[in-house]
Amino acid sequence: MRKEKIMKKYKNIVRLSNLLLEALCELKRQRLRQIQSSFEDFSYKCCDATKDSHLFYAAIEKGWLSGAEKVISRVSRNLNDFSYHLQRFKELINADETKLPKLSDVFAELSQIDQELGEYQFDLKERTISVITEPITLDDIPFGPFEIKLFIDQINKLYTDSPFRVIALEPNPAGADDNVTHPHVSSERLCEGDGHVSIRRSLEQGRFCDFFTMIVSVLQTYNPDSPYISLDDWEGISCYDCGCTVSGDDCYYCESCDRDYCSQCSTYCQMCDTTLCLGCAYECPSCNEPVCQSCTAKCKDCEEVFCKDCLTEDGLCQSCEEQRKEDSDEEQASESKKPETCVAVQSNSVGETIVHA
Amino acid sequence: MRILFINNNGSGYADYVNIAENTTIDQFFAIKMQGEQTGDYLIRVNRQPVPKDYCLCDGDRVTITPVKIEGAIC
Repeated sequence: MRKEKIMKKYKNIVRLSNLLLEALCELKRQRLRQIQSSFEDFSYKCCDATKDSHLFYAAIEKGWLSGAEKVISRVSRNLNDFSYHLQRFKELINADETKLPKLSDVFAELSQIDQELGEYQFDLKERTISVITEPITLDDIPFGPFEIKLFIDQINKLYTDSPFRVIALEPNPAGADDNVTHPHVSSERLCEGDGHVSIRRSLEQGRFCDFFTMIVSVLQTYNPDSPYISLDDWEGISCYDCGCTVSGDDCYYCESCDRDYCSQCSTYCQMCDTTLCLGCAYECPSCNEPVCQSCTAKCKDCEEVFCKDCLTEDGLCQSCEEQRKEDSDEEQASESKKPETCVAVQSNSVGETIVHA
Repeated sequence: MRILFINNNGSGYADYVNIAENTTIDQFFAIKMQGEQTGDYLIRVNRQPVPKDYCLCDGDRVTITPVKIEGAIC
């Protein structure tokens, strides 16, 4: 029974080794394709450098010496470009010294992971291999353990994308951003910083134990010069407006837009005391005080929005109220003059005439 | 004699290097990693940790990996 179990485990390791080796072959193929494309480009550059040879020949034959000199200066310029492209091409060719490991090497790598980093998880369906780190603490802030998950089918995208994720198993995300679970991890992606080249190189060369070990080293180190969120601000909350990080006590929640703001970017309604951000607060044009939406109303006449304190019981702003008062005074004045003129006209019968039936 | 040296520091590289007979791993580290402290690195010979007076043999595989690598913001 025990022997069967060991055999099963052994078979799994061989299967995983094969998968990893296939992924490395595919990566190598991608690399060679890149060289193939550069090869074609370089061929065009070679043609470019010598394309004027027939003009030069013709110019010499016909005795057009100044024309021949022009061709020479053009060839000289082309050669300067050509030497640059030649150098780049040489670098690309020489950089590809990666030798594919043997199956036994990959097998040994997996055994070494087991020894050094603890038992790895192999998900055949998802085609992933994962290592779980010890709980990580940086400057007394606990981040819990992380799962480093390598997607075997994505190893071939190494030059364009990251084929692994770093997943917080007991996340203690930054107050300002839930996606940042470690000063150097955002949305499960690790920014390897100084380890970028060596981590990628270890993967290229099939040194999987070195790959996982170096990722653990990055997770266990804090670089205060370049974190997504610094440890000093870890517990704080980021102001939605200006982005500065403030502690929970200095943070103000806008009840209108449901976001957090610092004291500089928030205010409160002068009527109901509701906390507001500067964007949601409305400044009454009459008293110039900030108020919330529910403490405002439109003037019935001019339809401008004012705080309710600046509107009369009739729903009018101060200027419309005054205007109405003026209008009504004028009306009253004109009404008091009207009856006199009417009586005078009727009493004198001016303009009346007798109409016969 | 010739050994395979895998240096995971900096840009990282793996290459065969020639060393004198009876070179210990401690001496090798001092030559290859000048100014560095052994405590800042994981040193493995043939995938195994070894004592610092371990004498390197022809064909050995030496791996030096930093334990502190500074991440960044991408």
